[in-house]
Amino acid sequence: MLKREVVAKTHEIPPGGRKLITPWKGLAGIGIFNIDGQFYALRNLCPHRLGPLCVGQVSRRVVADEPLRDAHEALPFEPEGEVIRCPWHLWEFDIRTGQCLVDPRVHVKTYPVQIEGDTIIVECEQI
Amino acid sequence: MDPLASQPVLAASWRTYVADRVAVVDCDVHQIVRDFDQLLPYLPRYYREQVADQGFLIPSSGYFSAPKRASRTDLAGDDAGENYDGRHIGWDFDLLVREHLDAWKIDQVLLTGGSVYNASILPDADYAAALCRAFNDWTIEHWTARDPRLKAAMAVSTGDPNLAVREIDRIAARSDVVAVLLPSGARVPYGSRCYHSIYEACQRHRLAVCIHPGAEATGMAGSPTGVGYPTYYLETRMARSQMAMAHCASLICEGVFERFPSLSFAFLEMDQFWVPGFLWKMDADWKSLRQQTPWLKQLPSETFRKHIRIGSQPMVEPEAPNQLEELWGAMHAEETLIYCSDWPHFDWDDPAMAYQRVPEKMRLSVFSDNARILLGLPMAERLETKC
Repeated sequence: MLKREVVAKTHEIPPGGRKLITPWKGLAGIGIFNIDGQFYALRNLCPHRLGPLCVGQVSRRVVADEPLRDAHEALPFEPEGEVIRCPWHLWEFDIRTGQCLVDPRVHVKTYPVQIEGDTIIVECEQI
Repeated sequence: MDPLASQPVLAASWRTYVADRVAVVDCDVHQIVRDFDQLLPYLPRYYREQVADQGFLIPSSGYFSAPKRASRTDLAGDDAGENYDGRHIGWDFDLLVREHLDAWKIDQVLLTGGSVYNASILPDADYAAALCRAFNDWTIEHWTARDPRLKAAMAVSTGDPNLAVREIDRIAARSDVVAVLLPSGARVPYGSRCYHSIYEACQRHRLAVCIHPGAEATGMAGSPTGVGYPTYYLETRMARSQMAMAHCASLICEGVFERFPSLSFAFLEMDQFWVPGFLWKMDADWKSLRQQTPWLKQLPSETFRKHIRIGSQPMVEPEAPNQLEELWGAMHAEETLIYCSDWPHFDWDDPAMAYQRVPEKMRLSVFSDNARILLGLPMAERLETKC
């Protein structure tokens, strides 16, 4: 049984912003992220050690096809695809998919987000 | 001396185990230069004149080692060591053949040098390269050319990588040269970009890179430990694991195996007890710090299992026997472990003792196949004779 949880008005979470909600008392809650106008929701619970994932640093994935050859090369960030780094142990997750970037077996739970007018709604379990 | 005196207790059990007909590869056997003057014919005149009155300046350990040149005295005296005559049995080609290769039916041996490979950290890179070249020529003439079971890990000087590459290109095509030997003591850890041209040459010639204790705290090498210079030899032995871990972490982080995907390293006599903890810890920390080395596409432990091998000597002696199997399970020893005797040193591991401890399902890998793959030796040859 899903319930619809009203998160915020869209203007309250500008691009690059986030909001944490706790639809269930005493549990980890959900983080809602605005990435370039698209909203994504992740459980605020890192599958690694149960840290508060959604309060971590949001950044881009750093990529390199091969080891650096000289100090003048700068490591490039991927052009898109925001990642969040859990504040406990820094595991990275793709915010759009919940996929963990350092262990392919690991996902963080994601939730569907709906925009109705100017209201952000997350569908989550009824507890 | 009775030829069996060197293996008085274990010889009987070894005859039993040889019935398995595993063609043993021993990846750590030392050929010692009796007198550095033996190298003079292989040096250019310029250096011959210098060493004539100033010595060879070959770095050795700055510590007192074990007594009697750290060698087995049971083979060095007239009376089973009672009357040790000052020899180092590592000088003696005939003794190696009779008391090691023949006595224990060793099929292939990797010669890991006298102390000359320590020239790698001499300040004068040109002299260091000349010394390594002389030592390699001496090794070929006096050891590998005399017995087809002997293969050489060649010395190179890392002081000038271009000279190391030149030496590799000079002799690596020989079938009796199968590896490059580097001392654990170094200016910077072995993953550093400054060594990569050497690794390119090794990959091109299919040479493994072997790292063996040596040169730490001498020449331009750093301290054996991360906290400074210890006082006693025992402490430096305990520091081998630190040096091995530092080199391993460096090789993985610097992307040596991304850049040279068919290159392999072996850590000989650098202990093995550290491997499981190292793998667990480095995997965990890499997951946190992936961003700093994004060229690493797989877990450090996966890279280690593909590219790094560990010498079995000195054998671990755990509190309870079953802990040995647990250790080897955790370090994937069926892939990573290679048998080493460390002939002719006092702390050697004879084949029989080592063989009995290795679980049956791993024996062929540890005593033969892993080393053959590492060194590019012909595979799966079993001894023809039964005992």
